[in-house]
Amino acid sequence: MPQMIFVNLPVTDLDKSKAFYEAVGAANNPAFTDDTAACMVIEEGSIHVMLLTHAKWAAFTGKTIPDAHTTAQVLLCVSADSRAAVDGQVDKAVGAGGKADPTPTQDFGFMYGRSFEDPDGHIWEVMWMDPTAIPAGEPAEASA
Amino acid sequence: MSDSPKMIFVNLPVADLAKSKAFYEALGFTNEPRFSDDTGAAMVWSETIFVMILSHEKWKGFTDRPIAPATSSEVSLALALGSREAVDAMVEAAAAAGGTADINPVQDHGFMYGRDILDPDGHVWGPFWMDPAVANGEAPVPETSL
Repeated sequence: MPQMIFVNLPVTDLDKSKAFYEAVGAANNPAFTDDTAACMVIEEGSIHVMLLTHAKWAAFTGKTIPDAHTTAQVLLCVSADSRAAVDGQVDKAVGAGGKADPTPTQDFGFMYGRSFEDPDGHIWEVMWMDPTAIPAGEPAEASA
Repeated sequence: MSDSPKMIFVNLPVADLAKSKAFYEALGFTNEPRFSDDTGAAMVWSETIFVMILSHEKWKGFTDRPIAPATSSEVSLALALGSREAVDAMVEAAAAAGGTADINPVQDHGFMYGRDILDPDGHVWGPFWMDPAVANGEAPVPETSL
């Protein structure tokens, strides 16, 4: 079985957040969606986001929900295939009511990263890395 | 040209990098030394799933938002494992490595089994097992589950 992660996020307005995540390219999986939760697929079989209403969230944990617009506990970063794809995803987020660039743009030539904020303030970074710039599996001294 | 599989990097602020690195290794993550230094460590779960644990100082370079207190939770991270036994093993490993076991009631729905843990900084993780037939959509999700 492939390794899978489900990123569970509390959201104040499930319909709005579902539409937002669809706009940035995540597909809804109706089998795991109802009026308290929505499963959004970033990469089928490996990376999923579960959007949960605050009421549903409270059933899972006694911890309070911090205001993600003013604090942060996690920065979620997903890869993109090109610099243009990074910009495109941030543009889509803005078009769907999200906020662009809550964190500084990172541009190192071989790597380019920007970010957007979902309606609840959760920060997503989108990053492209030049595949040819990623070090090979062998230590550098061994490949010289 | 088809797109390459997307990767996810879950960045988490940690108070004690060495302790957290040992914790995530105990859970079954592998450290990637090429993307680790004394301010952050890349912990590999799979070819597409990574956790980046970052010192608070390093974290501040990425966002000026203060870190929400551990009494609150912005996110809960669930990992699918291959069996109920694997879930129990991860929870036991977490408790032995400075984490907290079973912060929430154990979820046992037959086709799905999950337990929730905290890492040393209070980040919530939920290892779970799901019947592959349900996960793959070959069997319906039982009515009572959601």
